Formats: sequence, structure tokens, C-alpha cells
Amino acid sequence: MMPLGSLVRMVFANTLRSPRHFALSVFGIVMGIASFVFFLSLSLGVRDVILGKIFPIQQVQVVAPRMSMFGKDMSKKLDDKIVETIRKQSSVAEALPRMHLVFPASGSGNFEGQEVKFEVGGFGDGIDPTFLADDPKLAELFKDWDKEEPNRTACVPPRIQAQLDAQQELQQMLQQAQQAAAPGAPGQGAAPAPQSPPAPPAPRKKYKNPCPHPERYYCDETDRTCHHRVPVIVSPTLLELYNGQFASSHGLPVIGELEQFIVQRGGLGRMRFEIGLGDTMVAGSNTEIAPSKRRNVEGMLIGISPKAMPIGMTMPIGYIERWNREFVGGDAASTYSSIIVTLRDKDELAPFSQWLQDDLDLRLEDSLGERFATAIFIVTTLFVLISFVIVGISAINIAHNFFMQVSERRREIGVLRAVGAGRLDVRLIILGEAALIGLFGGVVGILLARGAGAFVDWASVHYLPRFPFKPDTYFVFHPWILLGGLLFSTVFCVLGGFLPARKASLLEPAQALAQN
Amino acid sequence: MTSDPVIRLRDVSKSYGTGAARTPVLRGVSLDVLSGELVALIGQSGSGKSTLLNIIGGLDQADEGEVEVLRKDYRRAGEREKARLRNSSIGFVFQAFNLLDHLTCLGNVTLPAAFAPGARDVEKRGREALRRVGLADYAHRKPSELSGGQKQRVAIARALFGQPKLLLCDEPTGNLDSETGREVIEFFRELNEKEKVTLLIVTHERRVSSVARRVIAMRDGAIAETSDEDHPEIPR
Repeated sequence: MMPLGSLVRMVFANTLRSPRHFALSVFGIVMGIASFVFFLSLSLGVRDVILGKIFPIQQVQVVAPRMSMFGKDMSKKLDDKIVETIRKQSSVAEALPRMHLVFPASGSGNFEGQEVKFEVGGFGDGIDPTFLADDPKLAELFKDWDKEEPNRTACVPPRIQAQLDAQQELQQMLQQAQQAAAPGAPGQGAAPAPQSPPAPPAPRKKYKNPCPHPERYYCDETDRTCHHRVPVIVSPTLLELYNGQFASSHGLPVIGELEQFIVQRGGLGRMRFEIGLGDTMVAGSNTEIAPSKRRNVEGMLIGISPKAMPIGMTMPIGYIERWNREFVGGDAASTYSSIIVTLRDKDELAPFSQWLQDDLDLRLEDSLGERFATAIFIVTTLFVLISFVIVGISAINIAHNFFMQVSERRREIGVLRAVGAGRLDVRLIILGEAALIGLFGGVVGILLARGAGAFVDWASVHYLPRFPFKPDTYFVFHPWILLGGLLFSTVFCVLGGFLPARKASLLEPAQALAQN
Repeated sequence: MTSDPVIRLRDVSKSYGTGAARTPVLRGVSLDVLSGELVALIGQSGSGKSTLLNIIGGLDQADEGEVEVLRKDYRRAGEREKARLRNSSIGFVFQAFNLLDHLTCLGNVTLPAAFAPGARDVEKRGREALRRVGLADYAHRKPSELSGGQKQRVAIARALFGQPKLLLCDEPTGNLDSETGREVIEFFRELNEKEKVTLLIVTHERRVSSVARRVIAMRDGAIAETSDEDHPEIPR
């Protein structure tokens, strides 16, 4: 075999002598590889946004099929026993229950100087805090504080304090009035004293949170002790809906990084809001909670997690259990809305689903994410197939070009054989020329795809209005896609050059040289 | 002159085509060429002289008979061995020059080095070969910028680049004017005399045969006549 350096030099020299032929051969490859890299990166980018942000499919949710009779819910009850049964399955890495708040509740708070009210009943649920263990910052705050801190400091809630102060003030005023009206009091029976100007009203007293660490604790009106505010997380979906539609329609600021936003607004203490348990904003709600039973707690938004319910708020499950027991009863406190199951292997999904249906009469919640994943897979496959067809046609074109070249270069091949080239050398020269077309076409194709991607991203930033989950980039140019593109183009070109190279190597030198 | 046979042919036959279209080109040719000889192979077109030259150079294969060149038995040697032999020990000069137009003169001359693993001083040797044929200043010219005679001299320089033991020339003066042809023939004569390179020149020109020690005439694929005063023992 000829030395590699000589082979490379000869391949370059042969290729550069006919730029027109080279450009014609490379054009198809460039188009094919550009479309291959562009569409594959676009599919991955869109997949990342859809499955990573909009419909995260890290875990599957087990739910009971809905059944009702005469308007009464007859669905199977998801309880601790079922959670334990699922946990015992060998394919299951973890099973954590999820519980909905099943009675009316409303929220209110001050956000950016505006009073905001929202419904919590039906839009709130609880998850096990261990579910957030992979996010240390959230895990530090996302705890059932009432359970963890049973010994709480006594306090007088500001509203009660205000009432007490008002009562005291009233009593004082009454006492003063009684003293003034009592016989023998100065001025009694005499001419009325000249009227003195009325005293200016005392400045309204501001009642502060009496609890230590007021940024995290509040004084509960029911038991008059200091409670840690209920930690609440929301999903990126909710944040995107806020940013994309709510913020602009209500003239509120767009939230980029929530953590940064919280710091800018003065810390977690500013993220607090009140939850009226038993209260509702929905007129005509059939669930009646006696006004005497209603009470308020305080919550605070601590962060964003895809594990929160998509539209609503999520808190530690302990709070939801206690509230459901308090307002609805023990049954509601032991019935889960779903069970989040993490499988050891994604391939176990089908058998696990079958087992759920057969043995427990349960099912996996329809995942829009899964459906999108399938749709994206189909679209990606289609695009990649189109790219394959383009590159395949280009390879056939290259084969055709090389067959023509071999015919045109018979004399040259004969000369090479005469001066000492073996059959393998001739074959390597032709294949090397094909590989060079593939490499060059691959590199240009990749650059073209990246350029097109950058243009699409630029156009999106500058010309597309903001919409929920609008990404900074629509593309994920994984190194393996780029390497794959390069390999793909080179291999296809070499395949295209294979038969012409074989034909060239089998030429008898004497016959080749006989060509005039 | 030594008595080592550089070329040894025995009953070599070659045909082209198959069946009824089969045309015999060589019919049992036997021939020995000794080291340092300058042999002219003459004959009319179609007499088989170019085919014989190609078979000796390993560019074509004999159908029958023994072919041994530089002690290499072609029946046993594979394609790779024959290619290596051509690269290291045999030089070719063709009537049509067969230069590669996209390479410079130096590139053409040093072309054999591309297939010689471990080739050293390639450029220096290439320039030296060009100097020997009087084209030292033409190293970076393309063949299209040269006259016919200059092209043939570049082709000769390429043939001499590997310092071959055997030079096979197929009608080397066929495309040259008489003056240039004379110069080329003179160059071959000097090469043979001074460097003892064995030359086998296919030609139908009398002036070429005038410098050859031995003239072999071919007719209808067979050796018809040999004029060799020095070596009556060589098969005819």
C-alpha cells in the first residue's frame, strides 16, 4: 500500500484540479447533511422544550379509573396499602403518593403592590418532601414544618392584637366618659367650660409580626403560636402562563429566574400570601364549610419545580392530609389522588402498566408528554429519512460522477499502474477522493445547518412575540449529531465511490494506457 | 556487458477476444535480453511488439508461456509484486508521453515515489532527473506549457527517477520531429553505454535500430528475424 502522506497529497491534488466537478458532487451532500443536522437538532431542541419543560416525563402517575354511580364517586381508593404494594414491585424504584386538597380554599396576597386573589381548592395538592430531594435548595425549605416543629412560640396575632388594643382604647374612652358624667365631677352643675379644640386622631398603629424570623414565621390566629409558613412550589408551566399571558394583560413584570426575582423583591418574606381554608372565591359552590370552621394560614412561594402540579400549587403532603381530615374527614386524609412511580428502567413501563391493570385495577395517567414524545419521534424519523434520501441520492450522483471520471481517467490510471501503483492503491485514491467530498460536504453542511439554526433563533428573538415556553434556542446541536453528520456523509460518499473504485482498480494497465 | 538475462521469455502466447472473435497477437515468442543490452523491437503495426513490451513490463498478462523479468517469475508473482517491480526497477517511456496534465514536471517525474514506501530525497532526485534530460528550469511548469520533445524528456526523466535496471520504450520517437527524435535516441544510447541500463525499444524507425546492438523483427505475433552479431546463442 502506498504511504498515507502520498495518498493524501494525491487525493487533494486530484480533487483540486477539477473544482467544477467537486462542487457538483459536494452540493447534494451539503444539502443532505445540512438538512440532517438541522432537522435532528431542531427535533431534539423542540423535544427538550416540550418534554423537559412543558410535559416532563420523568415519572409516571398511577391513577384509579374514574367510576361513578348515581352521581357518587365509586372510583377505587388509592391508599397506603396500594402504595406499599406498588413499592414492592421489582421494577419500581420509588412510589410516592400525591394528595389533592379536596375542600374549598382561597388565597390572597399582595403582589407588586396589587391585591391578588386566587382559588386554592382544586388547584392545590401535596407531595412527599423526599420527592424534591434532588433539588437541595428546595428540599431545605419544602418540609412539613408543623410536624417538624411541634414546640412553637406563643404569640398574639397582629389582627387579635389590633382588636385587643381597640377594645382597650374603647374602654378607656368609656371610662373617661363615665368619669366626666359622674356627680361631683369638676364642672358638674356649673356653667359649661369653654370648648377646647378636639385632640388630633392618634396615628394608626402598625401591627408587626410578633414571631422571631418574621420572614419565614407567622402568628397563627387559631392556636396563637408561631408557625413556619407553608412552603409552596409551582410548576414552570404556571410561571410560563403567567409570563406569557397574565403578566402582559395585568401590567405585571415578567419573571425570569424566580430565585433572582425573590431576592430582588426582598427575600422570601415578600413571597408570602394568605390561604383561607374553607373559604372560596367561587360563587355557587356546593361545598359548604361552616364559617366558624374557617381559618387562615400563611404560605410562601419558595420555588419552581416540574414536580409541582401544572396549574396550581403544591405543598408538603402532611399539610394537605391534616387539612383534609380537619375539613372533610379521615377518609379524605387517607385517599391519594395519584401515586408517582419512578421505574428502574423505562423499558419496564409496558409490563408495569399491564400489571397495574391486571392486578390492581389501576392505570397510568394519560401522559400528553408521552403522546408528544411519540409525535416528535415520528416527525424526527421522517426528517431524518428525508435527509437519508437526499444524501443517498447524492451518493448515487457521486457514484455516477466517479464512474464517468474513471472512464475519463483510464489513461491516468494506466500511468499510475505503470509507475508502480497496485490495485489497492488505485482503489484507495478513488475512495479517498470520495471521502474528501464527503468530509468537505459534511463540514459545510454542518456549518450551513448551524447558520440556519442561528438565523431561526435570531428571527425568533427579534420577530416572534413572547409565548409560553418560548425558548432561547430551538436547536440542540449535540456533538454526536455533528459527528454523526460527518460520518454519515463520509460513509455515504465512500459507498458511492466504492464500485467506481473497484472498476478502476480492475482495469488492466495495458488497456488503460491504450486509450488515446 | 554481463550474461545475466534481464528478460527471459519462453513460448509466450497472447490472444484477444473470445470464441470466433479470438485473435492471436503473440504466438510462442521466446526471447532472452541480457543485462546492459540495447534491443530494438521492430515490426509493422499489429505485429505484437507493443503487446510483448506490455507483457514484459507486467502491464499485461500472457495467456501461455514463461515470463521472467529481473529474475521475477510472473507466473508466481502477484499483482502487488509486479507493481513493486515496476516501481523500483522498470522504467516506461510511451509514444504519447503519458504525463499527468494537472501535475508539474517535477510532480510527474516524482510520481513513482508516491508508491514507494520510505522514498527519500524525492524532490532532489526529481530535480536531478530533470537536469539529466536538460529541463532543470522546467520543474514547476505544467506539461501543457511544453513542446512535444520536452514532454518526452519529462517522461524519460520520470522513467529514470527510480534508477531502473530496465527501460521499456514504446515508440518513444513516434510523436517527435526528426531532430528531437534523434536527440532522444542519442540519449538512450548514452544511457545504455554509460550507465549500462538495459533498454528494449519498440520502434519502426530505422534510425533507432541503428544504435541497437540487436534488432528483433516481429511479424504476425512471432519473432521473424534477429540481427545479432555478438550473441548467436540467444534464442531466436
